[in-house]
Amino acid sequence: MSNQKKRNFQIDAFKHRVVVDPKYADKTWKILEHAIHEIYNHNASGLSFEELYRNAYNMVLHKFGEKLYNGLVATMTSHLKEISKSIEAAQGDSFLEELNRKWNDHNKALQMIRDILMYMDRTYIPSVHKTPVHELGLNLWRDNIIHSSKIQTRLQNTLLELVHRERTGEVIDRGLMRNIVKMLMDLGSSVYQEDFEKPFLEVSAEFYSGESQKFIECCDCGDYLKKAEKRLNEEIERVTHYLDSKSEVRINNVVEKEMIANHMLRLVHMENSGLVNMLLDDKFDDLGRMYNLFRRVPDGLSTIREVMTSHLRETGKQLVSDPERLKDPVEFVQCLLDEKDKYDSIISNAFNNDKTFQNALNSSFEYFINLNTRSPEFISLFVDDKLRKGLKGVSEEDVEIILDKVMMLFRYLQEKDVFEKYYKQHLAKRLLSGKTVSDDAERSLIVKLKTECGYQFTSKLEGMFTDMKTSQDTMQGFYASHPELGDGPTLVVQVLTTGSWPTQPGVPCNLPAEMSALCEKFRLGYKEIEQATEIPTADLKRCLQSMACVKGKNVLRKEPMSKDIGEEDAFFVNDKFTSKFYKVKIGTVVAQKESEPEKQETRQRVEEDRKPQIEAAVVRIMKSRRVLDHNNIITEVTKQLQSRFLANPTEIKKRIESLIERDFLERDSVDRKLYRYLA
Amino acid sequence: SGKASSKEMERIDNLFYSYANRSSGMIDPEGIETLCSDMEVDHTDVRILMLAWKMRAEKQGYFTLEEWRQGLKSLRADTLNKLKKALPDLEKEVKRPSNFVDFYNYAFRYCLTEEKQKSIDIESICQLLDLVLGSHFQAQVDYFIEYLKIQSDYKVINMDQWMGFYRFCNEISFPDFSNYDPELAWPLILDNFVEWMRAKRT
Repeated sequence: MSNQKKRNFQIDAFKHRVVVDPKYADKTWKILEHAIHEIYNHNASGLSFEELYRNAYNMVLHKFGEKLYNGLVATMTSHLKEISKSIEAAQGDSFLEELNRKWNDHNKALQMIRDILMYMDRTYIPSVHKTPVHELGLNLWRDNIIHSSKIQTRLQNTLLELVHRERTGEVIDRGLMRNIVKMLMDLGSSVYQEDFEKPFLEVSAEFYSGESQKFIECCDCGDYLKKAEKRLNEEIERVTHYLDSKSEVRINNVVEKEMIANHMLRLVHMENSGLVNMLLDDKFDDLGRMYNLFRRVPDGLSTIREVMTSHLRETGKQLVSDPERLKDPVEFVQCLLDEKDKYDSIISNAFNNDKTFQNALNSSFEYFINLNTRSPEFISLFVDDKLRKGLKGVSEEDVEIILDKVMMLFRYLQEKDVFEKYYKQHLAKRLLSGKTVSDDAERSLIVKLKTECGYQFTSKLEGMFTDMKTSQDTMQGFYASHPELGDGPTLVVQVLTTGSWPTQPGVPCNLPAEMSALCEKFRLGYKEIEQATEIPTADLKRCLQSMACVKGKNVLRKEPMSKDIGEEDAFFVNDKFTSKFYKVKIGTVVAQKESEPEKQETRQRVEEDRKPQIEAAVVRIMKSRRVLDHNNIITEVTKQLQSRFLANPTEIKKRIESLIERDFLERDSVDRKLYRYLA
Repeated sequence: SGKASSKEMERIDNLFYSYANRSSGMIDPEGIETLCSDMEVDHTDVRILMLAWKMRAEKQGYFTLEEWRQGLKSLRADTLNKLKKALPDLEKEVKRPSNFVDFYNYAFRYCLTEEKQKSIDIESICQLLDLVLGSHFQAQVDYFIEYLKIQSDYKVINMDQWMGFYRFCNEISFPDFSNYDPELAWPLILDNFVEWMRAKRT
């Protein structure tokens, strides 16, 4: 079987006969090195890129990649060292220009070199994880030029100096700046940041810290803000012209901090020109500027808001407690409305209609309006005045505007029930004396109150209107069925529903025998009239005022002549009184603001009315919760009632105790904070 | 012992009838006064109130036979002498905390003499406070009585306020009121009292 032995057949790959010229690598590299020199010397036109590419390709192919790469590094480095010298040698302004020119050259050269060494860039470099040619060129530029000891600091100082010159008003070559800065950015964000941005921000902070100090010593607040705004805009512009757009936020922060945040309080409180003065003088532009600048820094807007709020509260407090103002309720309310208008327009014109500012405005108004317990009464008197005469000849739209403003004040009131009480009294007088100017305006306000506070609030007021209408119809019906009465004296009867109208104590008034006696007596002292008629003081004074002090209606004469009735006054029948009318209608003088005892009485009635409301609220809450602790009851009751009035915690406590006494509630036997509902 | 107990019952009843008013069949105020003088105790003494509590007497100034039997039986007293000797023990019994709240509560109810009456006038309350709580919380009681007499917000005191004051004495540090929180559910009269005390001390 030995002859059967077979040899395995093997085919070898065909082997190129490789030129093994030992000098091959050196020779080829020399060619390439020469080419690089020529490129840097601007002599590239005579080179054959095709040939050079092939040479580089072959070197890599023949495993001389490393030699090629190292050669490149060495050659480029030596060129850059040369370049560095020439840049260093440049004098004054030409420094940046030289740097820029060489940078452009280097970039062009780098492009060509990369093209020649494309194969190495694609295959050899990735396989050994070396830096690609383009990036290598940038790194070498960075290390040999930008970070060379003779250039690095000089470059930085030159750039910062240019910025400084521009800030002080000089014109600089922005194009050159842009190119150099772009170079730094091309070298990597860390180069841009370390070699330029960081020192730039530091120098800027120093600059603005000094400048702001100077400004704040000599400028008023408005001027300062104008200057700060201008600086900020300049920096924003600078970034768009020659800096990295990422620097915008950072440089803005510097300006904001140095020029605004560091001086915020001083600016706001600056004597004679600070925020309060701006508010007083309606300086919309300055206020707007302050708003827009301050919103850029932390706590900026809250600073403005707090100063505005405390100023508003302070002036509001003065306004509502000024005894002069209290003399004229209509004027008082008008002042409040004017103040509100003023701040509304400040907030819309200067504060960007900022919600938080609107809230601050509202809470301030709510605060000081309620400082004066007479506000509800006065607001009702204001309405009364408007609806009696103030709205005469005013267009329907304007009436709505006025009423809406009144409603706005009404919303601020904590004691809405007090307003209601007065409103009812005033409305009753308007209706019964036929003094109301516009039925539509009256009804419009009722509708507004109804939307604001619900049906319950206005049902009685509406009942009053219904009564008036019914009475009128009844009267007409009466005269229609009795035509013979047409020539006699006219009778006006008003049928009023009990409960809908404010109750007034029955007023004794012995007429008319005593009144005729009054004529005979000719002259009577106030005290005598009071004794004779037994009309209560407040009403009597009002009547006498109507009869003696109203021009054209003064059937009585009073000594001494004055607007008010004093207890020492004497009264005469006015012989000189004439009138072209047969019938002289003497209305009582319009609802005056209440005298002190009347006010007390109304107050007491309101307090009494609140008791059952608080108790009802407690019972409602306890009925659904069964067990609840003290604080929660107080909170919930307050919440339930706040649309009408602000319940006093002490009063709530009193009501709870009363409910305990009447066995609606009991205290929990273990946890004494808890109350239990007793069904 | 059944015989003994019926004997005891008889003696208790006899003692009752020796003080009872013949026509009403109850010991009335006059009878109580006689009983007091026999025991040599003042009729306004707190121990008489304690005796009433023990008998669970419903009506002020009167003991019914039922109440008398029940009270004396549990005191194990069937003679005047024994009853007199039982008083110190009764006093101890009342002063045990669990009993005292009940006694304090009873004292208030005992003073409600009219139908549907729910509160007691300030003057009587002052006397009652001094009587039942004076020995426990002398200082608190003295100041509170002083306050009650000068204030004008309250003319009467109800059960809730009465019990509230007892809790107040037990829980609140006196006289600094350091742990008094008016936000908690104390009756308003105590808020006012503390406020008055604080104003007085500064």
